[in-house]
Amino acid sequence: MPHPGTYDAAMRMLVVEDNEDLAETIVDRLRAEGHSVDRESDGAEASALLRHASFDLVLLDVNLPGRSGYEVLRAMRARDDDTPVIILTARSQIDDRVIGLDAGADDYMIKPVDFRELSARCRVLARRRAGTATNVFTAGSLSFDRRGKRALIDGADAGLKAREIQLLEIMIDNLGRMLSKEEVADRLYTFDETPSLNAVEQLFTRLRRKLDGTPLVIKTARGLGYLAYVSDED
Amino acid sequence: MRTEPRLVSLQRRLLLAMAGGFALLLLIISVLLWSYARTAANRINDLPLAGAALAMLERASIGPEGPTIDLPNSAMDILALNTRDRVQYRVFSPTMGEITGTGDLPLPDGMDLSDVPRFYDATYLGAPFRFVIQGRRMNTPSGRDWIVVQVGQTVETRRHDQMSFYLSGMTGLAALSVIGLVCVWIAIRTALAPLRQIAGELRRRDPADLADIPGSPPREIRGLFTAINGFIARLRQNRALTETFIADVAHQTRTSLSALQGHLALAADATDYPEMKARVDKAGRQAARTVRLSNQLLANAMVIHRSDRASLQPLSLCPLVRDTLADLLRDSRMRRIALSFEDEALAPEGDRIRGDALSIREALNNLVENAARHGPADNSILVALENTPGRVVLRVEDAGPGIAEADLARATERFTSLAAATRGSGLGLSIVQAVAEGHDAVLRLSRSRLGGLCAELSFPRLAALMAVLLCWGAGEVPAARAEALSLFSATDAAAMEPLIAAFEARNPGIEVAFTEFHTVDLYKRLRAAAPGTMPDVVISSAMDLQVDLVNRGLARRLALPATHRPPDWAQWRGELFGFTFEPAAVIYDTRFLGAHDLPSNHRDLAQFIRDNEARLTGRIGSYDLRSSGIGYLYATQDSLQGPQAQRLIEVLGRARVRTYCCTADMFAATARGELALAHNVIGSYAATLARGAPHVGLHFFDDYNLVMTRTAFVPRDARAPDLGARFVEFLLSPAGQEVIAAHTPLIPLAPERHPDLPIARRIAERPGAFLAIRLSPSLLTYLDRLKQRDFLRAWDASVLR
Repeated sequence: MPHPGTYDAAMRMLVVEDNEDLAETIVDRLRAEGHSVDRESDGAEASALLRHASFDLVLLDVNLPGRSGYEVLRAMRARDDDTPVIILTARSQIDDRVIGLDAGADDYMIKPVDFRELSARCRVLARRRAGTATNVFTAGSLSFDRRGKRALIDGADAGLKAREIQLLEIMIDNLGRMLSKEEVADRLYTFDETPSLNAVEQLFTRLRRKLDGTPLVIKTARGLGYLAYVSDED
Repeated sequence: MRTEPRLVSLQRRLLLAMAGGFALLLLIISVLLWSYARTAANRINDLPLAGAALAMLERASIGPEGPTIDLPNSAMDILALNTRDRVQYRVFSPTMGEITGTGDLPLPDGMDLSDVPRFYDATYLGAPFRFVIQGRRMNTPSGRDWIVVQVGQTVETRRHDQMSFYLSGMTGLAALSVIGLVCVWIAIRTALAPLRQIAGELRRRDPADLADIPGSPPREIRGLFTAINGFIARLRQNRALTETFIADVAHQTRTSLSALQGHLALAADATDYPEMKARVDKAGRQAARTVRLSNQLLANAMVIHRSDRASLQPLSLCPLVRDTLADLLRDSRMRRIALSFEDEALAPEGDRIRGDALSIREALNNLVENAARHGPADNSILVALENTPGRVVLRVEDAGPGIAEADLARATERFTSLAAATRGSGLGLSIVQAVAEGHDAVLRLSRSRLGGLCAELSFPRLAALMAVLLCWGAGEVPAARAEALSLFSATDAAAMEPLIAAFEARNPGIEVAFTEFHTVDLYKRLRAAAPGTMPDVVISSAMDLQVDLVNRGLARRLALPATHRPPDWAQWRGELFGFTFEPAAVIYDTRFLGAHDLPSNHRDLAQFIRDNEARLTGRIGSYDLRSSGIGYLYATQDSLQGPQAQRLIEVLGRARVRTYCCTADMFAATARGELALAHNVIGSYAATLARGAPHVGLHFFDDYNLVMTRTAFVPRDARAPDLGARFVEFLLSPAGQEVIAAHTPLIPLAPERHPDLPIARRIAERPGAFLAIRLSPSLLTYLDRLKQRDFLRAWDASVLR
């Protein structure tokens, strides 16, 4: 059965979840999307496995026998393992969210999770990750070579200027994450340059025009900031 | 429901109101009573004042040198009946000038000369005084002239009397008020009985019983009664709603789950793949709705639960709203929705409220999700924060279909899903409503200018914190003070030194600086002393001069322990204290006179001298009244005891009495055989000296023997008044009195407590014969300029002829 937006590069994933039924559905779903998925139900065992094996993505439940999901995550970050992690939690308390993200999670979802949403979040993280690992980010007709600082649309140079390339790289690195105008300006300009926020806006407008037609969408939420996502996956 | 933080008692309120009324009444009466008490206290205390003035006026006369007055001791005695107050007097003639007394006493406003006493209040040398002024017309060589007497007293007794009249009056009134309040209390309790009945009725009631309370209450609480029954009716309604709610929850979840189960069963039975796919898709959508339903039920329960707790914290809405919106945008379903946020209209710090972040986040989630769910996929949602006076408004509006005006009111009811097509749970807005109630916020629904729903949550804004300035108290560290006590004394060093040594031994670190004076020098020095040069203790044997200094307001009141207080005669105003017992005595040469020769009373003394004039002439000693304060005191006090005193002076004069400055000289002369007897010597000194001169005898009379006391006071402007008070306290303490008995030639205040002193035995032999000179304003009589002049003139006339 073809799933919408199947991602072209299969990933190696670890699902840490103690509920058999839920774990089974998640594992089956992800496997159906073509990923290779391992599953652990004990926190301590998951932590041991993570120390030796390497994964592209970890789905981590919070309430686990052995060690809690947060402890597993903290141990990973403590040994500089920056594998993307999505926390799954059944609690909707804000504290969990803060602790999760502070402990170094890349995203979190509250159960019951919508599988399509879960796939979408996985893909976003995979893209962020893939971009940095291989130095080439691809989304449909768009490909971006980090090392060469070049963006190609349908194989031809997209004609991006240096600042636009810089902005594109920032947005790809923060795929699926809201960045405020100030945050973007901070990353784009050095301390001495003191940019106007207006300039940032214009830069976004130009970049958006040049990316028109590619699946990479830069969404503006007025008053909040910018969010980039790949549109052809939904 | 919020509980009232402080219970207010109706009974207490009524009582307080009544008590307030009583208090006001008492206040008014107390003002009247206060002025009445003042009048009464003045009336009582004006009488002796007028009596003293009359007694003085009566003794005014026109002598060869002009107007004069022989100040009667009775005038001062009358004033001394009042043991608290200081005294001032003045005798003058408007035409012939000052006669005697204190010349600068204040006169009443608009004084006209009259023989009717006039009373008035005035301030003299910083102290409030009550004066009487009264005149008398006298025939003088130049015609008839006025002689005016002015007598004044400080007002301490008047104040005291006024206060005690006032307090006794007020005590009665207070008792009356208490009785009144008790009556009110009983009345209130009786009146409130129906309320207790209702309370009992409600307390006994089964929680399930929501019937109206029966009965017909008094008119005053009819409103409350109706309100309670109204509330019960609403509870009934609410319970019905809750029952419906539970039924609805049960219905909705069961229906949802049945549908899900049904779709899955059909899918399992399906024979071909497309049919199964269709069934499973339906089951998936049904499952999604069930998930949303349970999520919102949980959110609803959570919000209601948190609104019960005191979980409100000061927080800034702006970052909270930003975070929540950023989180919402991560959801891929939000991608096509144009979400914008406006906070430009916020004042600085304008987003501070007291709130629960989790509940507000939930409310905002629901508002935005509602807009996303019920609107088109490319809906526009505008979230804005702005200030209205005193409030922060969080507004969420969208361009969706919105809610019809007619349905707005119903929108926040639970399980009221207005849009059949999108099939909400009907809980979203009721969650927002619950959050609003938990925050004292107001939820307002209206139509948005974007076309859809506009939901406004208006929170009370947290007042900006005022910067609190810390006031640093000027906590001055008291400068380290040298513990030096300055003592001015007009009494022999030999008598003082053991006392000072004993005091210093008991108070390590205190050094006594002792300056010796003659009595009159000490008196003059203190009257002229500039502030800041006052000693800490003043001790003198001249009782009259000490009383005069204290009468001028120079002393400070001391709070002595009750056990140390001297007898009444030896203290005045709590300011001047006597600490010795010093009887006047006769010493005689036992080789010349036998004990049986000596007369047993004063009257016989004059006769004895006259009878033995030949052998006694030139061999009698007495004080020189002009140079000895003690001699003058004994002589003047003798003259108050009867006319024999004047006769004695005449007899002494005829017998060519020899005068001395002091007891020691008289004793030495007697020991040498130069004097046969000496009269009015200080008995204590003489007794001590007699130990070394066996042929000098000590004689006391049977009728009376004057007793004087050495006195001490602490000046008002003393530099170390605490140390001064400590010294005076030591003088009067059992320890100090013991030092006086054992180590000084003086006799302690209560000689009967020191039976091993030889002189104490002599004193005990004559009970009632020792007449103590009282410390009181009557000692001022012979300090009067004219009185003193006349007395000394009479003495001179007898002795110096």
